[in-house]
Amino acid sequence: MGKKVLIVDDAAFMRMLLKDIVTKAGYEVVGEAANGKEAVEKYKELKPDVVTMDITMPEMNGIEAVKEIKKVDPNAKIIMVSAMGQQAMVIEAIQAGAKDFIVKPFQPARVIEAIKKVAEEG
Amino acid sequence: MMKDEYLGVFIDESREAIQRMNEILLDVEKNPENMEAINELFRLLHTLKGMAGTMEFNTMMTLCHRMENVLDEIRNGRMRLTEDIIDKLFKGADILDQMLDRIIDEGTDELIGVDVDGLIGHFESILNKSSMNNKKEKEEEEREKEREKEEKKEESEVIPIEITDELIHVAKEAKERGYRVFYIKVFLKEGAQLKSARIYLVLHKIEDMGGEILRTNPSIEEIEEEKFEWDVDLLIVAKQNSEKLSKALSSVSDIEKVIIREIDPEEIKKQQERKEESDKVEKAVKKSIPQESTSTVSSDYDKQRRKLSQTVRVDIEKLDTLMNLMGELVIARSRIVETLKKYSIKEIDESLAQLSRITLDLQNIVMKIRMVPIAYVFNRFPRMVRDLAKQMNKEVNFIIEGEDTELDRTFVEEIGDPILHLLRNAIDHGIESKEERIAKGKPPVGTIILSARHEGNNVVIEVSDDGRGLDRERIAKRAIERGLIDEARAATLPDEEIFQLIFLPGFSTRDQVTQVSGRGVGMDVVKNVVENLKGSVSIESQKDKGTKVTIRLPLTLAIIQALLVKVNSLVYAIPIASIDSTLKITKDDIQVVQDQEVVVIRREVIPIIKLWETLQIPHDVESESMNVVIVRVGNKKYGVVVDTLIGQDDIVIKSLGKLFRDVKEFSGGAVLGDGSIALILDVTNLTE
Repeated sequence: MGKKVLIVDDAAFMRMLLKDIVTKAGYEVVGEAANGKEAVEKYKELKPDVVTMDITMPEMNGIEAVKEIKKVDPNAKIIMVSAMGQQAMVIEAIQAGAKDFIVKPFQPARVIEAIKKVAEEG
Repeated sequence: MMKDEYLGVFIDESREAIQRMNEILLDVEKNPENMEAINELFRLLHTLKGMAGTMEFNTMMTLCHRMENVLDEIRNGRMRLTEDIIDKLFKGADILDQMLDRIIDEGTDELIGVDVDGLIGHFESILNKSSMNNKKEKEEEEREKEREKEEKKEESEVIPIEITDELIHVAKEAKERGYRVFYIKVFLKEGAQLKSARIYLVLHKIEDMGGEILRTNPSIEEIEEEKFEWDVDLLIVAKQNSEKLSKALSSVSDIEKVIIREIDPEEIKKQQERKEESDKVEKAVKKSIPQESTSTVSSDYDKQRRKLSQTVRVDIEKLDTLMNLMGELVIARSRIVETLKKYSIKEIDESLAQLSRITLDLQNIVMKIRMVPIAYVFNRFPRMVRDLAKQMNKEVNFIIEGEDTELDRTFVEEIGDPILHLLRNAIDHGIESKEERIAKGKPPVGTIILSARHEGNNVVIEVSDDGRGLDRERIAKRAIERGLIDEARAATLPDEEIFQLIFLPGFSTRDQVTQVSGRGVGMDVVKNVVENLKGSVSIESQKDKGTKVTIRLPLTLAIIQALLVKVNSLVYAIPIASIDSTLKITKDDIQVVQDQEVVVIRREVIPIIKLWETLQIPHDVESESMNVVIVRVGNKKYGVVVDTLIGQDDIVIKSLGKLFRDVKEFSGGAVLGDGSIALILDVTNLTE
């Protein structure tokens, strides 16, 4: 069954890439957001099963967005998309309730592995 | 595989990012304390780095990474933003831009003849300097920790975590409350990134399940500092059984393997006390780790490709074709209207009116699709002006106005260079040195304004400066030297016309040729380009007040509004954009001044051109009254005398083809509603 995925990243390029990867693996991308604020709104609206969340974004960064989304839905499953050297931020995101993270540049297999694991966790 | 598919988006988005970087850098240069800007810069580089990495442009990624690091230091207050750093960041932005060019041309980010490594090295040395102070402390700490570690090693072995009495006590208490004690060894996949965050995720997971971490090896601090290889030992208490724990922890990605053993701390302690055996046991533990890795998801992602973008990118050629078809449609409509006029059938009139409306709407839309904001051209100028001004030791406040003004795409590519020439001139010739300005009582910092706006069917672009203005004497002198004008005439010509001389080929008044403004190729090139685009350029200047160059361009090249006129039975089209007015005169209104026929209109002396004379068409009847079309060329007006005025119409410009490219009087031809052909007059060339 295709789980619903929300993709959050400020770069359209990254969103496109992720969407492609995720779609090909049989998941359904129900929405995209270009910043944290949009992400929170889209989350409320679309209730996705999994969210991929970039960390550095304008308006509201990924960590704030995780906190906001967790307030709305404590069971939200969020995977952080981070770059090398953002260790501290990733840790902060995990404290905020992110379930997993992937590191840019990423391999499609890694992305899918993370989504699969988080999605199946129940 | 992914590369080609996303290259377009990658390039576009990177370009935007670099452009924005330049803008921010300019801003930051003025307000180094603007943390917001630094943050955005950091974010841009970060995004760029991610994209470059994904596209496997590693040099680009490394450069972004280093720049990002430096900015990180700055925004965290560990480093000051110096002029040198700003310069280097500018340079970085340039190199990134060049890399994009190279990626477009060659598909690689490796630049030839550019010292990218040098720049990367420079950023690294900046970083090193900053961390020098912290480093010494860190090194000492590290040594201390290593010593501690070695000591620990001697003490405990079976499970590489020292079981203290205190630990046993805690474990006992936990047991009484229904907890079990586990020893867990987590192996990360080799090559996993952000290892500490990964381990942190594991710890977080355990705590999420209600478990508690008693000890870790290496210590939490060491984990945070990534001082471990691929495996970490944990001692935890939890209520679940080992199977459940194992399942939960395996759900963390990038984990190679998790070993979980329920243990009795007291037992372990006893084991640990038997030091001699311990070595062997530990080896056994290690051996028991199976070597096979967890299966990875098969990667058949590139089997099918799907278009995901929400905007559509269209080849400009298709747009051109669309525009051509649009033109044909306009012609066809005109023909139908023309033909049906004779019959005046009411029902048809209504449909025709509708058809006309639709065609007009369609035409507007097609035109709009081809329009882009002039910001595309203007954006690169702030940076160039900054560099040029710095190079020439001048201080310039550069202001851009109306960058939202839209114009045809075709112009965007062409108009950049002329504007750049004008800006260069303004900086080099116009704006005086600081000392000179102060001596003149002007503000020490010069101002250059680049503006764009719509004016009727024109786009008007102006470059103005508050510099020294054009030097009439010097221009006249040079023009005489060049034989462009004789001394007597030079003395009588008004300033305006003297200034126009600088548009002539091979004109440069600066005695000293600078590297920037070159050898006076600038202004005539500007004029050529603008006129090729069916536009005009004019110049105004006042001594010590400044200079203003105005470029007028038509909104679009393909379909224009024109006034159709007749000489004998031949129809000609004059672009409305260059028409000032039309009027009727009689023979008596024509006077002769200096061998030139002129008419005086509202006290203005306007030279007239009899179209039949200029085009050498036989013309017998010289009627009493004549129609004159007053056209504007630069700042000057001319009267074009014709037989009849037919009316205004949309015409589609068709080129005359290579065969007639030397024909200067006409800029093209157009098919009219009745199927006949009208030649379009090139007013500028006609009046010369």
